Amino acid sequence: MLILLWFLWDASSAYWYDFGISQLWASEWYPYESLYGLLPAIIGTAWAMIIAMLIAVPCGLAAAIVSSEILPVSWQGWLRLGMEMLAGIPSVVYGLIGLWVLLPWLQNTLDLLTGHNLLAAGMILSLMILPTMMVMSQDALRLIPIEQREAAMNMGMNWNQRLMRILLPQAWPGIRSGILLGLGRALGETMAVMLVVGSLDRVPDPIYNILEPAQTLTSRIGREMGEAAFGSMHFSALMACGLVLAVTAICLSLLAQRKPREFAS
Amino acid sequence: MMKARGVRDMIKRSIFLAVAMCVGVSAQASERISAVGSTTVLPVMSQAAEVYHQMHPDLTITVSGGGSGVGIASVIQGTAQLGMASRETSPEEQSKLNGNVDNIVIASDAVAVVVSKAVYESGIHQLSIAQIAAIYHGKVKNWKVYGGLDKRILVIDKEASRGTRHVFAKAVLGSSHARAEGASIISGSNNEEQMIVSRSDNAIGMLSNAWLNDKVRGVDVVVNGKAIAPTIDHVRDGSYPIARGLHVLLPHSATAATKDFVQFLLSKEGQKIVKHVGYLPVR
Repeated sequence: MLILLWFLWDASSAYWYDFGISQLWASEWYPYESLYGLLPAIIGTAWAMIIAMLIAVPCGLAAAIVSSEILPVSWQGWLRLGMEMLAGIPSVVYGLIGLWVLLPWLQNTLDLLTGHNLLAAGMILSLMILPTMMVMSQDALRLIPIEQREAAMNMGMNWNQRLMRILLPQAWPGIRSGILLGLGRALGETMAVMLVVGSLDRVPDPIYNILEPAQTLTSRIGREMGEAAFGSMHFSALMACGLVLAVTAICLSLLAQRKPREFAS
Repeated sequence: MMKARGVRDMIKRSIFLAVAMCVGVSAQASERISAVGSTTVLPVMSQAAEVYHQMHPDLTITVSGGGSGVGIASVIQGTAQLGMASRETSPEEQSKLNGNVDNIVIASDAVAVVVSKAVYESGIHQLSIAQIAAIYHGKVKNWKVYGGLDKRILVIDKEASRGTRHVFAKAVLGSSHARAEGASIISGSNNEEQMIVSRSDNAIGMLSNAWLNDKVRGVDVVVNGKAIAPTIDHVRDGSYPIARGLHVLLPHSATAATKDFVQFLLSKEGQKIVKHVGYLPVR
């Protein structure tokens, strides 16, 4: 891990020395004019992650609750198998599904200039992290001892109360790890996002406009790395994109590791 | 019992033979080279590679895209044995290639200004360079301005490394790396561009003339008051303003087999493929 970070830092140091940290909020990316602002791609990445989480967290959690609390045991295995298979599909396949199904649909239903946009990227990502979310939450729910459920029932709690007061609080650490792992995957996903996001290096206007083409850090690296000569400033700037991604991912996984205090006791 | 053993022996022997043959073939044959770069040159290269492989089974050529910039960079870094480019090399690239590479033109084509079928049928059949530049600079955003429908224009720009982009930007916007402030989306390969145009009802883009079809129409470019269609004939007589050569980059250090293959591209047979794909042969 340290070696990786060191490598990214080493490869991108020329960029940081020449342009400094202020490039994180500079909004112009024109490699041929030596302008390397990271802001458009950072905002794009953030939006794609937020949209993906807004869809995947509720859906994944609901699926986990239904499968572990409501469905009979024999069905659970099948559902889980399905989810695990979903997690194993290569990302380019998701990208192509997005390209052929999601984009035309978005374009027609929302009457957009093009279906390539951040919403599409977020939706594809949500599909990809849904299995992680669901499997982790399901495991967490399953770990809750049967005695607790019985006790809750004996106390006369209805289903809603049992879910909100007993099950979800107990399963929260597991659900939380699921969310953070999902975020990590959404952050690093390249291929599927690259195919649907539109790759336009411009800050969305207005900033909450998720229906126009935009750029993410991963998609920029994917599209431009082949061309950037090794050792050039362009290469260094792309490595800086990688460093930003890596640091964010490390923060996320550190957060996932840390146990919240209330559950440690 | 004996019989069964005999059969088993025979199977074993034949498997051994098969394995030996495979090993033998792969040991004796197979020089593998890879050609990387422009997706405009790619169809010629891959068809030629197939034909050539049938004539010379000892040379296998893997062809992949990425764009002219990627092709040239791959040759510089030595990761590909052949580069494909749909533009001239830049001075910076030339200094890195250091004169160790032959830049061979195998064909020429027209970079067509393409629009969606719906745009074409609404009456946009020709545009001047200034009109196209206005669209790409973001000064004109609606087809209505040029007599089309009242629809926003989907302006497709290409990745900066793409050869088609260089040639188009130089001819239309003045320099090969000019900004296109009006761009609404960035595409990569010719296939991607073709797909976006054909899916939209309002798109304008840039594509080699060989990639036009019913849903992706090339408009005439107006030069000195005369509308000129992006056809091979107009590339031949030099009247179409956005034309270019399609290049193969052959390092001096290439093997004899690789050099022979490039000669094949320039031969009668190879140039037939060029014509078949839809480009203008050089010979």
